[in-house]
Amino acid sequence: MSLRPAALLVSFVLLTAAIVLPSTAAQLSIPLIQYHERTLPNGLQVLSVENHASPNVAVQMWYHVGSRDDPRGRSGFAHLFEHLMFKSTKHMHAEQLDRLTEDVGGANNASTGDDVTNYFEVVPSNYLQTLLWAEAERLSNLDVDQKNFTSERAVVEEEYRTRVLAQPYGKLFNAIDPYSYRVHPYRRPTIGSIEDLEAASLPDVIAFHHTFYRPDNATLIVAGDFDPKQLDAWVDRYFGWIPKPSTPVPQVTAKEPARRKNRRYTVTSATAPLPALAQTWLIPPAADSADYVPLQVAAALLSQGDSSRLYQSLVYRHEVAQQVGAEADGRVGPGLFTVYAILASGHRPAEAEKLLNEEIDWLATQPIPAAELDKVKTQLLTGELGQRQTAQGVAFALGQAALIDGGPQHVNTDLALLQRVTAADVHRVLQKYVTGAHSVTIDYLPQKVPVMPGAGQGAAK
Amino acid sequence: MKRSTKALCLAVFTAVMTTAGGAPVAPAATAAASDAFPDTPPAPGPVPKLTVPTPFAQTLANGLQLISVQRTGLPLVTAQLVLRSGGEMDPPRLAGLADLTANLLTRGAAGRTAPQIAASAEALGGSLTAAAGWDESALGITVTTPRLPQALDLLADVVRRPAFSAAELKRAQTEAIDDLRLMLSRPTALASLVATRGVFGDGAYGHSRNGTPASIARITRSDVQQLHRTLYRPDNAILILTGDIAPDRARQLAQASFGDWRKPAAPLPVKPAGEAASRLPAIVLIDQHGAGQAGVVVAHAAPSRSDAGYYVGMVANAVLGGSYSARLNEEIRIKRGLSYGASSRLEPMSDAGLWLAAAQTRNPSAPQVVDLMLGQFTRLGHSRVSGPELAARKATLIGNYGRRLETTDGLAAQVAELAIYGIDLRQIGDYAERVQAVTPKQVEAYARKHLDVDDSKVVVVGDATQFAAALRKAHPQARLLEAKALDLDSPGLLPAATAKK
Repeated sequence: MSLRPAALLVSFVLLTAAIVLPSTAAQLSIPLIQYHERTLPNGLQVLSVENHASPNVAVQMWYHVGSRDDPRGRSGFAHLFEHLMFKSTKHMHAEQLDRLTEDVGGANNASTGDDVTNYFEVVPSNYLQTLLWAEAERLSNLDVDQKNFTSERAVVEEEYRTRVLAQPYGKLFNAIDPYSYRVHPYRRPTIGSIEDLEAASLPDVIAFHHTFYRPDNATLIVAGDFDPKQLDAWVDRYFGWIPKPSTPVPQVTAKEPARRKNRRYTVTSATAPLPALAQTWLIPPAADSADYVPLQVAAALLSQGDSSRLYQSLVYRHEVAQQVGAEADGRVGPGLFTVYAILASGHRPAEAEKLLNEEIDWLATQPIPAAELDKVKTQLLTGELGQRQTAQGVAFALGQAALIDGGPQHVNTDLALLQRVTAADVHRVLQKYVTGAHSVTIDYLPQKVPVMPGAGQGAAK
Repeated sequence: MKRSTKALCLAVFTAVMTTAGGAPVAPAATAAASDAFPDTPPAPGPVPKLTVPTPFAQTLANGLQLISVQRTGLPLVTAQLVLRSGGEMDPPRLAGLADLTANLLTRGAAGRTAPQIAASAEALGGSLTAAAGWDESALGITVTTPRLPQALDLLADVVRRPAFSAAELKRAQTEAIDDLRLMLSRPTALASLVATRGVFGDGAYGHSRNGTPASIARITRSDVQQLHRTLYRPDNAILILTGDIAPDRARQLAQASFGDWRKPAAPLPVKPAGEAASRLPAIVLIDQHGAGQAGVVVAHAAPSRSDAGYYVGMVANAVLGGSYSARLNEEIRIKRGLSYGASSRLEPMSDAGLWLAAAQTRNPSAPQVVDLMLGQFTRLGHSRVSGPELAARKATLIGNYGRRLETTDGLAAQVAELAIYGIDLRQIGDYAERVQAVTPKQVEAYARKHLDVDDSKVVVVGDATQFAAALRKAHPQARLLEAKALDLDSPGLLPAATAKK
């Protein structure tokens, strides 16, 4: 499970519609994102999109490091580390980044996924220089002390409890990666475990920063209200001096083997009111756009909106599930095609599984009406337009493209590809990766729990 | 430990500096590689100007208020139809009726089935979402500009001509009950519901707006039809269009889709009182066996939206718990690592307001979090906020506000909030000025008046074996209840048979 930003915090409007992609069926036009790209001699990639519709600027640092890179016996470390990047540096005290963002009318946050860690701020544009300094500072001068380390580790442990233990379906979604991968480090959940978090130490923090937080392992993205020449000068001044280490960045080399058979697991929950089921299949890396984009279309056909196939079958017609979903979870390495259902009262996971598989088989083999294909393209394109209303949204789209989807150009080319996806493409990818491959199935079952003695009916007053 | 760590860091970065100094690595024309990296953050440049778009309000002959806000750029428009009535109109024993009614609008209308309506909305690129809040029920969709006329026709169909078929009602009830079971299994959600009951008692804002499993099951088709007939009428409605749309075009489209919507002769029903005496003790503990964390909620009654101190309240809440750096999160998360997040919200409504603070924590930490929350309430009402702290929290408030206005749906939500409560729409552009005018003295007085610890309603939901004893020792009046035994329809939380105690 990747941890996504809680919300896209900022907004603005793209005025420049330089090139327009005509949508074949949907007849929508999406303005391309006109980004500027350069790379400093020390390897830092810089992507920028100028727009003055709002007086704000988004500043994002994306690092090619995620939970796949957690040290041995330290699951959850990349994410814990992300929290520590808000603590002290040589020239900033703990939480000073909040003083430079929130306290002046901006906002900041960060997220850790399987492959990337991103730090993102939006500020009134007169603070751009300040934020560039601050990002360069925590890239080059992090200096966390034991007290901050200990208290922030406790916060991350509460985050674990909030996301995994206190959410009725948290344990299910947290179990997907561990059961879906056999070899690849994606099998470690991003949030980690309490035991491994407890084992982490301050020297681990220093080593991790030294290993992965370096200019040739990062992408700086700036979008919004700025002057390009000024931006280049500031970036050179604050980031240019940071040297590129002579050692290479460690890379994950593990190869996830093809699945040889279907596998099935059971997870139980003390608080989930209803059973659930999740199934996954392995898919190629997101950079394999020719297959990944049709898989995204397949997921949308299955589950985007109340007119989608899974909703109509499982929730509406058969009333077996109360919630269904499908996702093409593309990663730098092997990704997952995931479907899930939270059951309706009185129904069992096996009923949902049968219907899920019928719908997937039908989609993979039977004709797909042109109007339905057009519908999902319109949904996906309208969603993209919505995201591009804000500087932060544009920057996220660029970061996703640059670090996960194969390069910044994918922010535009994948949309063009989306508009050309055919029913035959959807059939081909589903048959190759889903119906013609092996699944992992997780049954999620509520467990019976006893009532606490002494509670109830006001008797304990 | 700390010292040796620093030494290690220094070693790493000394090497870095040497390399940078010895061999310049940034030959770009404007780079100043020889400049030392500054020790302090560069000062900000001149403050940029935020321009807030102006809403344009018109009224159709049938009383429908039309508000449009034009912003060109992306070909995107949000359309929201808002009724000035919501969950506060739920009849006794029928908690959730307004929300269920809103939810049913899209499930069959004007001769089209639920799947057909969903397919129509989604073919336009959006999705129709409807729900009831307090004082409002809203139905909205965001689409690309060319699809707006069809989207408005669809909105008009579902709002004006819903089928409310028996089969769809039954289906919606089953789904709503499952959703409620899910919601009630989350400790903070359950604690918030109980705390709200504690604040408003039997008043209109005291019940569960999404209903309870029992109240949802009681709702009949005629209840839904009756509520729709009474409240869904043009003189109780506002159509909001934001984005790529000019006022003339807005009027033309509104007239085409809603112009022949008739206003009934009967007057609109009067809103019931929001607040009534509470029957709950000041502190309620609820055992949810096996809960992975405890949800801690402390709530207070607050003034209504029309109160002259509205902006003072917003600033006071910003200081207390309105953002990451506000006091509750500072004390509970940042300083002590007790929670992933602690926050508060102030929700002023038509007839009363709710001030509610919440955090989820390890079960054994719940008593400490209760103390910290109550302590921060007292502090805000009994000491002056410093100038820098106040300036920072005002900036956060104003910054969040400005950014919310930058998407078409955020803009529509803000316009709706003003329009529902009959606030002058020009205030949309005065927000920063009004926030800046609030003084530390006003904040202190507001908090002292509305956050008095004696009037607090504290609710803790979680694995009570791990916190009940400590909390009952500190708060002897605390009452312990079993989650599964709660009757959320009752202002006393207990089923009728046992309520007399």
